[in-house]
Amino acid sequence: MTAPRDPLPLSGRQPRAVRSALAVLEEVVAAGPGITAKEISAALKMPQATTYRLLNLLVGEEYLVRLPDLKGFALGRRAARLAVPVTTTPPTAARAVVDHLRGLVRWGVHLASFGAGQVTLVDPDPDHPPSDAALLARYPQVSALGRLLLADQPEWRALVRELRVFTEHTVSSTSELAARIDEVAHDGIARQCGELRADRGCLAVPVRAPGDGRLVAGLALSGPATRVADPNIELVALLREHADRLAPLLA
Amino acid sequence: MRDRPVLPRLRERSPVHGLRRRGLAPLEVFAQSVSGAAPSAAMAATPAIVAASAGGGTVWSFVVATGLALLIASCVARFTRRMAATGGLYSLTAKGLNPGAAFASGAALLVGYGMLAAAALTGGATYLQALVARLGGPVSVWVPVGAVVVVGFAAGTLALRGVRLSARVVLLVELVSIVLMLTIFGLLLASPPAGPDLPQPSPGVGGIVAGVLPALAAFIGFEIATALGSETRRPFRTVPRAVTWTAAVSGLLCVFAAQTQVVGFASVPGGLAAQDAPVPVLAAAGGWPWLTPLLDLGLTMSFFACALATTNALARVLFSLARDGVAPRAFGRTHPRFATPHVAIAVVVPVLVVGLAATVAAGTALAPLLVFLLTVATGGFLVAYLLVCLAAPVFLRRIGELTWSAVAATAVIVPILLAALVAYVLASGRTPVVVVLAALAAAAVGWFVWARLRRPAEVASIGVYDETVAADVLGDPGRAA
Repeated sequence: MTAPRDPLPLSGRQPRAVRSALAVLEEVVAAGPGITAKEISAALKMPQATTYRLLNLLVGEEYLVRLPDLKGFALGRRAARLAVPVTTTPPTAARAVVDHLRGLVRWGVHLASFGAGQVTLVDPDPDHPPSDAALLARYPQVSALGRLLLADQPEWRALVRELRVFTEHTVSSTSELAARIDEVAHDGIARQCGELRADRGCLAVPVRAPGDGRLVAGLALSGPATRVADPNIELVALLREHADRLAPLLA
Repeated sequence: MRDRPVLPRLRERSPVHGLRRRGLAPLEVFAQSVSGAAPSAAMAATPAIVAASAGGGTVWSFVVATGLALLIASCVARFTRRMAATGGLYSLTAKGLNPGAAFASGAALLVGYGMLAAAALTGGATYLQALVARLGGPVSVWVPVGAVVVVGFAAGTLALRGVRLSARVVLLVELVSIVLMLTIFGLLLASPPAGPDLPQPSPGVGGIVAGVLPALAAFIGFEIATALGSETRRPFRTVPRAVTWTAAVSGLLCVFAAQTQVVGFASVPGGLAAQDAPVPVLAAAGGWPWLTPLLDLGLTMSFFACALATTNALARVLFSLARDGVAPRAFGRTHPRFATPHVAIAVVVPVLVVGLAATVAAGTALAPLLVFLLTVATGGFLVAYLLVCLAAPVFLRRIGELTWSAVAATAVIVPILLAALVAYVLASGRTPVVVVLAALAAAAVGWFVWARLRRPAEVASIGVYDETVAADVLGDPGRAA
């Protein structure tokens, strides 16, 4: 029932339709939330029926959303993925909490932000360099931090582009990944043992905003793959305690 | 140009929160709609009923009915491309017409889904009994009663345990049953009984038109995807497609089945219309008597998948009415872990199952009971379809997105549905159906009057749907404002 997945060659009037769709997106950004279909059509001098179709298409893909009156449009969450996420340095107080944890454990301690629907390392451990940032952002399913992000999104499948295999431990099937993601959502902790680099593993817990419980960041420990598989009860308790202390500082 | 009114503050959570938002895959939603329409059952049973009016023109009646179903689907899609509802057609109607019409649609849907669920259980029990008898099992009233109770409660449990699980069960069962049906009908079409074709009495245009109403009844339930809007991944794309494709697929299957049966009985006096159980007769004539138990199995499965899909929809209509504040508020509660409207399911399923089981145990014949339930359900759906088609252009005008094609679709379909409704009432003129419908309508009016008096504000703002919340919007305009 879905259209063919193969990229079809652009033909006929399709290039114009693509340009028009981008123009509609730009107009919504320029005019601000609440602009109506008629206003967009007038501003772009585009036929009304075409505008409505493009708007419905963009709403269907969730780049745009309809506001509750069903008349006005605004940019949807998914549109954030069109922009490069801006890395912001966390406040000094938050860095102090992360440094405190670094003083207590012999593992690498990394702090990542989940703004813009991507894993962005905002305070990587200088003594234990983490994996390539681009890799973490691109394949969220193989890192513990990335799995925290996925477990928070009902539509996580949309964020997993390709189940790339890095080591013999890498999860390579969607059903197995779904089971892992469900575990993360249930336990509130994500793990990964040697899935990105055979000898390394990671544990990560969410940092949630104190008011609404929104996922804002993830705090991760990285170390030898064999150690990550252990229960690590005290270590996890320590990790959670620091995540809780970070919550009011990052939200 | 920037004198836009200040944006209303966006809600932090959807008014239909509690259901699992955006979780169902397109195929799972499509399967629910297909099961609701139960094309396998329609393939076996409906052509003979249509042939009673349309004779040799049976296939054309189905072609016309498919066109009508596609038109209804296009009206429904005007809404579902723009909003994700949980209450099915009534939530949509509320955005176009006044609260009274939305309420009428809600009541009609409760009748439609309730009766369709009961009919599906009855149908499943009927064919299960036939299958048991054919395999040498006992013929007793307890076989259908047991089937109704076991399947009814199993459907309730699955619906309770999560829409995802029940959607997958429905997908599997419906797929097997459609494959069985296609195999059976393919075999029958490949070798029609020998003998010269007898001249069929020409049904004329009138006959074909009269056959459209029973043919259209074969589609009821195809809109079930509209009740799963908030639970569907990418709902604005998936739900309209699911409804449209269900109409198209069901239509194709029915046309194919009708053609097979018309050709099969071309050499028999009276043709298809004279047949009581056309497919088994064709199977026996073709020298494949073993097809009949397979047919029974396929029909049983299709009916039970239909029961499951309709239970899901029925519970969600009730859930939405409760969230709207016009039904008891407890129905609007959701299970914390399974994220299903568990109170609505826990009340509706036992009432349906016990009521139906008692009726069957009292010795009511299954076949007339099935026809009765389906007829009442069709009445409910005709009303709901009529209202939603009427509401579509009004809704588009309200949000300033009216197009000529929307007006044209409504202008064509509404008079036809009105005529179908009149024909329906006339056709069931001297049967208990009219009495039951009148009683149900009176109950609905009584309910509406009570709601208007006791909860005027809730009635005035009827029509909750899964509206955009703060977290869906980039940059969060509501909070910033």
